[in-house]
Amino acid sequence: MRGIITFIQRDFLRWERGRVAVISALIMPAAWLIFVGLALPVQFTGNYLDFITPGILVMTMLSAGLSGGALLMFDKILGFLNKFLALPTPRESILFGKILFITGRGIIQTTIILIIAVIIGASLLQPLQYVMIYIVLFAFGILISSFATTVALYLEDHDSYAAFNTMISMPLFFTSSALMPYDVMPGWLRAIAVLNPLSFAIDAIRDIGYGIIPVLPLATLLGIACFVIVLCSHVFRKVTI
Amino acid sequence: MSIIETNELVKYYDDLCAVDHVTLSIDKEVFGLLGPNGSGKTTTVLMLTTLLRPTSGNASICGHDIQKHAERVRSAISYVPQDMAVDIKLTGRENVMFFAKLYGIPSPKDKADEALALMELSERADDLTRTYSGGMRRRLELAQALVHEPSALFLDEPTLGLDVAARKKIWEHIGSLSRRGMSIFVTTHYMDEADRFCDRVGIINRGKIAACGSPEELKTNLMNDIITVRIEGMCQPPDLEGVWYVGRQEDEISFTAENGKEALPALAETLTRNNVKVRAMSLREPTLDDVFLQAVGQQEEPHGFADSKFRMMLRRRR
Ligand SMILES: Nc1ncnc2c1ncn2[C@@H]1O[C@H](COP(=O)(O)OP(=O)(O)O)[C@@H](O)[C@H]1O
Ligand SMILES: [Mg+2]
Repeated sequence: MRGIITFIQRDFLRWERGRVAVISALIMPAAWLIFVGLALPVQFTGNYLDFITPGILVMTMLSAGLSGGALLMFDKILGFLNKFLALPTPRESILFGKILFITGRGIIQTTIILIIAVIIGASLLQPLQYVMIYIVLFAFGILISSFATTVALYLEDHDSYAAFNTMISMPLFFTSSALMPYDVMPGWLRAIAVLNPLSFAIDAIRDIGYGIIPVLPLATLLGIACFVIVLCSHVFRKVTI
Repeated sequence: MSIIETNELVKYYDDLCAVDHVTLSIDKEVFGLLGPNGSGKTTTVLMLTTLLRPTSGNASICGHDIQKHAERVRSAISYVPQDMAVDIKLTGRENVMFFAKLYGIPSPKDKADEALALMELSERADDLTRTYSGGMRRRLELAQALVHEPSALFLDEPTLGLDVAARKKIWEHIGSLSRRGMSIFVTTHYMDEADRFCDRVGIINRGKIAACGSPEELKTNLMNDIITVRIEGMCQPPDLEGVWYVGRQEDEISFTAENGKEALPALAETLTRNNVKVRAMSLREPTLDDVFLQAVGQQEEPHGFADSKFRMMLRRRR
């Protein structure tokens, strides 16, 4: 546990020192929120900003997770991983520290986006609802960051990982329920959207907004997250014999 | 029992035998694993630091088996890899503190300060390591490795890529750590450094230990005086009383002689008689380079002189 915290501290310190990256990661979701949420003349729902905010929060977490996937791979390429592996600290704490850091960083970024959303006109919710939203975002963050870390460890090469990142992030977002309700989607899109893990997170957050406790989507999310973590530990152990 | 013991350690990368039945025993001393690039030094260190699984054989550190009790081994060692890895966005102190915390040291702050002072980095401790020179970064890595006072310290090519002054400083630090009772396993391909600063060296070539002992021992056992002759073309090593062939590098062949001063003219005469054009001759004390040349030569060419190989080399050079 001590090791996990120390690894997380290191990553936060490094993140905070790279000032430009801290801001630039927020530009994209903020732009979506403002230009699409506010400016697009759509008639799906009463307040489109309220409708799209859960999607943007999940998008923020998605890009935080995908960009964080490269971190452990870089530690490996740059020789840090070998130094860490020769320490008496349990080896798994390197991996769990990384996943928790990526998720934690995503949580900070989504919080900023959430504040922007409220400032530009999204409805305020009850404190308990926010707590539940954070639980969903956390579960989704763990899922996506361990998935991204696994892929990066497996690919072992930054260029391939960057290509993978651009290849999946936009399609994942557009084929989710982020931008429109299921009932206005074309049939083919709906078929994909109901299976997209982003939709589970987005639907769960929307449910919370409507005052429903999203048992099923949240349970599904947690289930997938557990599966991916096990897979990730396995790949990690394989690359670190 | 010695601090570091290896027993018939073998590592294959697919078909390539990178480490070939290495048996060593290292106590509280500076032990240098000396060999050219690709001879298997890093692979040996990776196995001893539990980062790579041996194909066969075993090794122990402070009595702990590297495979069965890897965690105990990791508590007893520190490892500084060949390629420098310090966080350039963190300060020197933060870099060392980070390791102190990972080692679970009770008062990480004091211990980090102590290690930084030992490595003469106190003044720059609060600067970002981005601003450090190569030699300073190396010393910072040593400081990281020292915070938990390991019994065995593994340094993989610690002087690679540093200038002369920085190298000397690193070696001086290595020496002082050894005097504090640490067992130090260091790899290098600089023969002269190993000669000056290691208590014992193991010469490794193509994964095999070709010779092992203190530099003095290796030099005096094998040779007395060294005669190097710069020649043109090829040559059969002549058979002369009291003169032995050591090896050949490019157009220089070396011999060792019981009495170099007397052997010099006799050798020149014989070579000339054999129609070898002698360009220059010199007489000097043996170095580890000569030891290496001879040990490797014996290992690779049990029948002496690979004439065809040199002919090919010469042809390529023309
Ligand atoms: N991961 C690897 N896969 C395949 N071959 C390797 C690997 N690492 C090293 N080798 C090979 O093993 C041999 C020994 O390498 P190494 O231990 O790095 O030598 P040194 O450190 O003495 O330069 C070299 O021929 C090298 O090409
Ligand atoms: Mg090496």
